[in-house]
Amino acid sequence: MTGRTDPILRTDKIGRRYGGLVAVADLDMEIRPGEILGLIGPNGAGKSTTFNLISGFVKPSQGRLFMDGVDVTGEAPHRMCRRGMVRTFQHGSLMPSMTVRENILIGAIGALRGKVRSQRAARAEHAAHALGLTHCLDEISGNLPHGLQRLVSIAIAYAAQPRILCLDEPLTGLNQTELANVLDVLRHIRDESGCAILLVEHNMKAVMQICERIIVLHHGQMLASGAPLDIRTNEQVIAAYLGKRHAQ
Amino acid sequence: MDKRVLYSGAGAVALLCVATAAMTAGYGTNLVCWIAIAVLTAASLRFVMLIGELNFATAAFVGLGAYGAGVATTVMDWPFLLCLLFGGMVAVVVGLVFGYVTLRTKGPYFLLIGFAFTEVVRLIYTKVHWLGGNSGMVGIFPPRYLDAWLPTFVVAVVGVLLLALYAIEKSHFGKTCIAIRDNDAVVQSVGINVHMTKVACLCVAAFAAGIAGGLSAYVNNVISPGDFGFLLSTFALAYLKVGGEDNPLGPVAGAVLLVLLASVAMGMGAGEHVFYGMAIVLSVLLMPKGITGLIQRGWEMRRKRSAA
Amino acid sequence: MQTLLQLILTGLQIGSVYMLFSLGLTLIFGVMKIVNFAHGQFFTLSAMLVAVLVPWLLMQGLPLSAAFGLAVLGGIAASVVLGMLLYQFAFRFFQRDLAGSFILSVGLVLLFEGAFLHYFGGAVRSVPPIIDGTVSIFGTAVTLQRLILCLVAFGFTFALYWVLTRTRLGKAMRAVAIDHEAAMLQGIPYKRIAFHAFAMATFLGAVAGAIMAPISTVTPTVGADYLVKGFIAVIIGGLGSVPGAIVGSLFIAFIESFGGYYVDPSSANMAIFVLVMLILLLRPKGLMGNG
Repeated sequence: MTGRTDPILRTDKIGRRYGGLVAVADLDMEIRPGEILGLIGPNGAGKSTTFNLISGFVKPSQGRLFMDGVDVTGEAPHRMCRRGMVRTFQHGSLMPSMTVRENILIGAIGALRGKVRSQRAARAEHAAHALGLTHCLDEISGNLPHGLQRLVSIAIAYAAQPRILCLDEPLTGLNQTELANVLDVLRHIRDESGCAILLVEHNMKAVMQICERIIVLHHGQMLASGAPLDIRTNEQVIAAYLGKRHAQ
Repeated sequence: MDKRVLYSGAGAVALLCVATAAMTAGYGTNLVCWIAIAVLTAASLRFVMLIGELNFATAAFVGLGAYGAGVATTVMDWPFLLCLLFGGMVAVVVGLVFGYVTLRTKGPYFLLIGFAFTEVVRLIYTKVHWLGGNSGMVGIFPPRYLDAWLPTFVVAVVGVLLLALYAIEKSHFGKTCIAIRDNDAVVQSVGINVHMTKVACLCVAAFAAGIAGGLSAYVNNVISPGDFGFLLSTFALAYLKVGGEDNPLGPVAGAVLLVLLASVAMGMGAGEHVFYGMAIVLSVLLMPKGITGLIQRGWEMRRKRSAA
Repeated sequence: MQTLLQLILTGLQIGSVYMLFSLGLTLIFGVMKIVNFAHGQFFTLSAMLVAVLVPWLLMQGLPLSAAFGLAVLGGIAASVVLGMLLYQFAFRFFQRDLAGSFILSVGLVLLFEGAFLHYFGGAVRSVPPIIDGTVSIFGTAVTLQRLILCLVAFGFTFALYWVLTRTRLGKAMRAVAIDHEAAMLQGIPYKRIAFHAFAMATFLGAVAGAIMAPISTVTPTVGADYLVKGFIAVIIGGLGSVPGAIVGSLFIAFIESFGGYYVDPSSANMAIFVLVMLILLLRPKGLMGNG
C-alpha cells in the first residue's frame, strides 16, 4: 500500500547526453501527489530535456524512471500518459484546425479509451468548464488569441485525467490578467482533482507565487530543491540565477 | 446533425440505385459502374488524408482486391459475395502489414514508399503465373442472377461504403485521425497510440480500395497488372483534387466530372493522359479546394449577402 | 573478372545518369521543399529534341559533330526555358507545400507525356553514334562514346558539388535548405536562390537527357523511367542530401547492373523497390538525409 506521501514519479540518477553534450546528468527528483512543483533554471540548464525524459518523449542515456514504484524507463509517451503523466508543449500544444470542443475531446478520448462516447463528451465539458472555456467551445482554436490557446492546451491535458500535469512554459506571452487567471485555474484543477502539477517556467514571480516546492537545475544537474522561500534565500541560487531583486 | 446527414445520404443512395436500375444496359450503365468505382477509389485515398498522408499505395490495394476477388472466383469458385469480401480482406491484411511497417515515415517518404510498393506489387503480378502473369486474369464474372442488376449492385455497395466512411470520419476515431494530422505529439501525450491509429486508418481505406478493386474485376471481367500501377493512384488523386479533398462529397464530384469528360475527350482522340493532366494542373492552380470548395464558397458568400 | 569489370563499368554508366537526375531532385527538395515528379520531363524534352534535331540537321548538310552540338544546345535550352516557365507560373506558389507541389507535378507529367506522345509520336528514336571506336579499360571493351558521356556526367556532378561548397550561391542554397527562415533573416534573397536552384536542377536534367540520347533509345516516357530511379536514389540517400543522391544513384545502378546480369531486369527492379522500403524503415530519413 502506498502512503499518501509516496512519490508518484521518481527518477534515479537519470541522465541524457547528445553526442558530447550532457544535457542532464545524475538527476534524482520526485513528484509527490497533489503538489505544485516548479522546475527552474537558466536556458540550457536542462529543463526541457528533463521534461522530455520524465514524460517519455526522450529515452534516457542512463538512470531509471519510476512511476508508483514501477520501473517505466524507456516507456513510450502514450503509455506514460496512461499511467497518469500528461504534458503540454511549449509551442503549439493544440490542434489549430479543430474547434476548442474537439481539441479538448481528444484529451478525453485518450483518457477514456473503450468507454462510451457520452462519457468522453462529459469529461471534455468538465475540463472546458474548469478552464473557463465554455464560452468559446465552437471557435476554431487556431483563430483564438494566444491566452485562450494556452488555456485550450491545458484543457486538453486536463481532460486526459492526469495524475501529474506537466506544463511546459504555460505562462509565456500572457498579460497580467491572463497570467493571474491561469494560476487560479491551476490551483483549482489541483484542488478539484488532486493531481500534481509540474511547471517549467521562466517567470520567477509566478513560480514563487504558485509553487509549493521548487527544483533548480544548473548545467543539467540539480542545484537546489525546496520551498520557495528557501530557494529565494539560497545563496548559490541567488548568486547564479535569480539576481538580488528576487531574493528580497 | 450527423444523423440527418446520414439519413439523407442513405436516401440519396437509394434513389441512385433506383435510377440505375431503370437504365437500360449498355454503355451508360458501364459508365455508371466506372464512375462509382472511381468514386470509391478516390474516397479511399481521401480517407488516408485524414491522418495527413498521401497514400500512393491506394492502387496496390485496389489491385489486391481485384486479384483477390478474381482468384476466389476463378480458382476457388466461392460464392460471389464471399469473393468480393475476400478481395477486401486481402487488401486489409496487406494494408495492416504495410501500414505497420511504413507509417513510421511521413510526408514525402511515405508517399514515395507507397509508390515503390505499388510498383513492386505490380511486378509481382507479372511474375506469378497462376495469376496470369503479364496478360492478367480473365473470366471474372458475377453470378447469373446479378447480370441485369450489376450496375445497381455496384452503386449500392459504393454508396453504403461512402456512408460508412463518412460515419467513421465523424466518429471519435475520425476526429483522432484529424488531430493526428494537426499535431501528433499532442495526441501522443494524451495516451493515444498514434502509430496504431494511423495503421487502423490505413486498413479502413485499404478495405474500401479492395472492394473497389473487386467490383472493377466483376465489371470489366478482365484484369491485368498494368491496371493497378501508380497511374491509378494518380487518377484517384485527380478526382480528389478536382472534386475537393476537404469535402466528403469531393470524390463524387471529381470522379463524376472527370470520368464523364474523359469519355467525351476520348472520342476526340486527344488521349486521356493529357486530359487528366490538364485537369489536375488547372484545379491545383485555379481551384485548390476543388469543385466542392467553390460551391461551399458560393454558399457562404450568398449567406453573407442575405445577412447583410 | 572480365564480366565483373564490365558490370562495374555498366553500373558506373547507368549510375552517372541517375546521378544527374537525383542531384536535380534533391536540390529542388532541399531548397524549395517540393517533390517534383515532373522533373523527368526536362530530360525527355531534351532527349527528344536531340533525337529529332540531329537527323534533321544532318539532312541540312551539317557535319555530325556540329549537328550534335547544336542539337544538344537546342535541347538543353528548350528544357531550361520550360523549367523557368513552370517555376514562374506554377511551382513558385507551392514551395514547402509537399502535397500540393507533388500533385501539381503529377498533373504536369500526365500533360507532358500526352503532349510528347502527340507531337513526337510513340515511335522509338535513336541518334546515330557521335563518336566511333572503343577503348579498352583493364581489358574490357567500352565504347568511347559511353565513356565520354559517363565522364561528362561525373564532371557535372563534381561541378555541382563545387558550386554548392565553394560559391556564395551554393552556400546560400545550403543555408536555405537547412533553415529557410533563418536564412531569410540573414538577408539571403530567398526567391532568387529558389529560382537558381530550380534552374540548376532543370539544367542538370536537360544535360542528362541530351547526353543519354545517343546511347539509349528515346521514347516519350523515357524521362519517367529514369525519374523513378532518380527518386529512389534520392530517397535512399536522403532527401536534400547531395552526397546521399550520389551514393543512392550508384547503389541502384550497381544493383541494376549486377542484378540484371545474374538474375533478370525486372527482378532487379523489384529488388530495388524492396530495398528502398527497407532502408526507409530502418532510417526514415534516408542514409544521409536531414530532409
